[in-house]
Amino acid sequence: MPNVTLVIDGQTVTVPAGTNIVDAARIAGIAIPVFCYHPKLKPVGMCRMCLVEVWTPKIDPATRQAVIGEDGRPVMTLMMGKLQPGCVTSVSDGMEVRTTTDRVRFAQKGQLEFLLTSHPLDCPVCDKGGECPLQNLTMQFGPSTSRFDYADKIHFEKPIRLGDLIYLDRERCILCSRCVRFQDDIAGDPVLGFDNRGRTWEIISKSDPPFDSKFSGNTTDICPVGALTTADFRFKARVWELRPTPSICPHCPVGCNISLDMRYDRLMRVMPRENDYVNEIWICDKGRFGMRFIESPERLRQPLIRKGDTLTPATWDEAIALIAEKLIAIRTHAGAAALGGLASPDLPNEDLYLFQKLFRQVLRSPNLDFCTGAPGEPAIIDLGATLGVGKGTNLSNLGAGTSVLVVGADPEEEAPLYVLRLRGIAARGGDLTIINPYPTKLDRTPARVIRPRAGAEAFVALALLKTLIEEELIAADFVTRRVQGFDELKMRLRNHSVASLCDAAGAPEDVVRSAAYAFAKADNGIIIYGRVALASGADLIDALADLALLTGHVGRPNNGVIPLIPGANARGALDMGVHPGAGKKRGLTAREMWAAAREGRLRGMIIAGMDPVRDNPAAAEALDALEFLVVQDIFLTETAQHADVVLPTASIAGREGTLTNAERRVQRFRQARIPEFNTPAGWDVAQRIARALIALGVKPTAPDGQGDGRGASRTLAKTAATTASSDQWDYAVAGDVADEIAATVHGYADTTYESLGLTRKPQWGRQPNEAIFYDGTSYENTEGVGVQIAAEADNPKATFTLRARVPPLFATNDAYPYTLLAAPRAYDGRAWSRDSKLLPRMVTPHLILNADDATALGIAPGGLVQIASEVGCAVLPAQIDRNLPRGLALMPDVDGAPLSRVQTGPLTRIAIMAHISETVGTR
Amino acid sequence: MSLIEKYGAEIESILARYPQKRSAVLPLLFIAQDEYGYLTDAAMREVADLLDMPPTDVFEVAGFYSLLYTQPVGRWVLQVCDDVPCAFCGAEDLIATLQEKLGIPVDQTTPDGMFTLQRVKCLADCDHAPVLQANLEYYHDLTTPEKVEAVLAELRQRAESGEKLSISGRYADR
Repeated sequence: MPNVTLVIDGQTVTVPAGTNIVDAARIAGIAIPVFCYHPKLKPVGMCRMCLVEVWTPKIDPATRQAVIGEDGRPVMTLMMGKLQPGCVTSVSDGMEVRTTTDRVRFAQKGQLEFLLTSHPLDCPVCDKGGECPLQNLTMQFGPSTSRFDYADKIHFEKPIRLGDLIYLDRERCILCSRCVRFQDDIAGDPVLGFDNRGRTWEIISKSDPPFDSKFSGNTTDICPVGALTTADFRFKARVWELRPTPSICPHCPVGCNISLDMRYDRLMRVMPRENDYVNEIWICDKGRFGMRFIESPERLRQPLIRKGDTLTPATWDEAIALIAEKLIAIRTHAGAAALGGLASPDLPNEDLYLFQKLFRQVLRSPNLDFCTGAPGEPAIIDLGATLGVGKGTNLSNLGAGTSVLVVGADPEEEAPLYVLRLRGIAARGGDLTIINPYPTKLDRTPARVIRPRAGAEAFVALALLKTLIEEELIAADFVTRRVQGFDELKMRLRNHSVASLCDAAGAPEDVVRSAAYAFAKADNGIIIYGRVALASGADLIDALADLALLTGHVGRPNNGVIPLIPGANARGALDMGVHPGAGKKRGLTAREMWAAAREGRLRGMIIAGMDPVRDNPAAAEALDALEFLVVQDIFLTETAQHADVVLPTASIAGREGTLTNAERRVQRFRQARIPEFNTPAGWDVAQRIARALIALGVKPTAPDGQGDGRGASRTLAKTAATTASSDQWDYAVAGDVADEIAATVHGYADTTYESLGLTRKPQWGRQPNEAIFYDGTSYENTEGVGVQIAAEADNPKATFTLRARVPPLFATNDAYPYTLLAAPRAYDGRAWSRDSKLLPRMVTPHLILNADDATALGIAPGGLVQIASEVGCAVLPAQIDRNLPRGLALMPDVDGAPLSRVQTGPLTRIAIMAHISETVGTR
Repeated sequence: MSLIEKYGAEIESILARYPQKRSAVLPLLFIAQDEYGYLTDAAMREVADLLDMPPTDVFEVAGFYSLLYTQPVGRWVLQVCDDVPCAFCGAEDLIATLQEKLGIPVDQTTPDGMFTLQRVKCLADCDHAPVLQANLEYYHDLTTPEKVEAVLAELRQRAESGEKLSISGRYADR
């Protein structure tokens, strides 16, 4: 865009055309006070706080030339003869803006006097007090007295609930509409609005339940007064007492930057920390309100050892000694292969790294996994390491010229912040295609929606590939240089037409073609796939890989694949090697471990931070068949109740570490408090076990798999060698483990705590005078934006082979005519939700059915249905959805859902019937 | 009986007038408040559902306009302009007379459910001030108690005669 030069308060500024005056002034370091304007929202000019004098050169109407005065300079005129709102006035050449004249000061003073006519002035009890723009601007610009009668202030009942989570104080509200605009434009949940007029104007929410949005907490951040407060933080603390600790949200693969605001060692509130690469200045409600588990009274406080049927408290020394002794015994009489380990994909890298090191190098067992082995759990097929989005990717900059395919994913439930990121791309002119067998909230974003039959998603991807080939949309140069097997792919697809493939998928051909065209022609192409795509399996994901390769959308910033693999650190688990294929010797998968345990081939296990019995009650039988089970967790989970030794660990607040997000950004979280009940971090637990084993004479081997030093730079490897060698387990702090990860794990060379702490300043426009340019109470990022590690495709020499093929159609079964899919839910009611204000929003087990199917089956909303598959049956309440495709049934994957009782795999054929309680009992 | 069951054809013809469904929110709210007596919470949600609108948006509209009633009203809604020209010509006297004759203060409904009295701003008929609007029908120059009495009698008679009334003014002869 061309630049425009203007003068603001005597300072000459050059900014892009179309910039508004408030932003232009900010670039020049001049603060214009605002309330309603927010740099992430469209300006509306509602609050009138940004009124300034705007002078423009006088134009002679006859000649259309600027009039030159006697002094030889252009004659200036005041725009419209009055003050102009800076947030909705664009800059123009030759403009002169004055922000500090008497006229402007008079307007600012008057505006504040108006805003305060009915303001209750209850700052001493207001949660916003101390970080409130109305306080700050009143101090700087406001009058010291008011001409309005104090007794004439309008009063409302205060506060009222806008929803479970957010309270509204209508007396404090200045009606700037920031919250309304955030919900409409950014979140895409239009659940807030204005009721009435004049002095009774007020914010309302009439959704069911009220304020039904997973992003509601952000409105309290951007509220420029104390009108919106959270149920979670109300009257908890004064903001100046808080000690903000930089942290990373442990709830999903986004890895939002957050701040744990502590008063001494108590968590008072969770706030977003800006990081343009990850979450801008937003977080979802799960991250904000779902952190109370940290202080749950049900936390494990000390190690427990099984004595008969009960778990009795023990000291750490007793517990670790017992573990070492039992593991050595099993290894001696049954071999190392009789040992297995499961570690949760939510655990930090340090924990995962030492966990696998304990198994691979000390115990010498390759049996490691981060899956639970439940019958419906899909295989984890990862494209992130190979074709992941290129280093330097920043979704918040993308718009026109970008095309995103969201395939088999429900970002709102799996990784909520991606909804905001994708809506942002669409709002800035990007192209979005959503391919999912059932409707999700993302469909509301302006996008192309393709609704394939469940299980037939691969055919859409193949139809896209075939369109690329037919219409010659291939990135020929890239394919020649770096892709193999193109001719073979063409052969495999030669007997199929775009029409026949679309037909197999049940998708409209014209929409598929236009999606292929848009994706191929875009400068930047990104593919996001999630839980439903994983359920669909390798046929789909291989085709997605080929889509990225044939269009050349890999190996560059803002191009590539983003897999949403369940877990906050599944990426880290894959990279650290907590999976059976990571080493030279292949180990058992979780599912194989259950079989091996039942057959007596697996005798001892360590399960860290994972609760497989919850997802799969049948696993309990396998666990009980073990000789020895160690469970390490922060709660006494169902799995822990089967353990011989239970070890308590610190939560994310009580230790530090790193997490790797879906875009392979490694991010560090800091320790917010002394460890709860003196519990150690997970990595330290692994270290204590390893040390005890070594003390008993176990000889560690050389590294195998991850940690074998591939890809690490030589200098780093050398430094790390001095701090840690394979048989020396002397890590004092998490940073020691991180150094070893940087030195040995492929791709992690740049991820020392030092480089993770680097911040690019300024990330996005904050006012030099923070108190005035008010963009919300999110924290500035001073502790590092993290480091994105490279994908294989980032190496220009790496080549890839095309693998897509046409699979057989998903078999139908007349006895079981419906397809059951597990649908991810953010509010799944699991351990994280303890003591959370979100508890009323937790999803309870139910089955979602198409309205016509329900009518045909005689099922009423809320009525009980019985479902049966080849392996079992279950009874649960029905929910009717008129937009769900016929033949598909969704069971939300939430606490207590009987998925493992009926699932035969990620996709299960089932029969559904109305449940009549007298004749058919619950099994 | 839902609105769509009872007024299906009328609703269809209204929807056909607009390129976007949500544009029909005002006419549908008029139907809804005539049907239910006023805009109940459920009525507004029903309209939102008919138009695929977020319910909040419908509540916003209903809250904004003074001719959409979110509280119960009588069969005749009497709105008196108390803006400047009407005030000069005796609007306050008119309101006082109405209060006396109806036995209710402003913003109340007579116990028989016949009349609701409201103050409103300009009705755009200043040349006949003071002005009373009954279900969107104008009654002009109400300068004496006798004229007011006659109007009330006429309105009461029309209601009792079984004439179809509309608080939304859907049958207003204008």
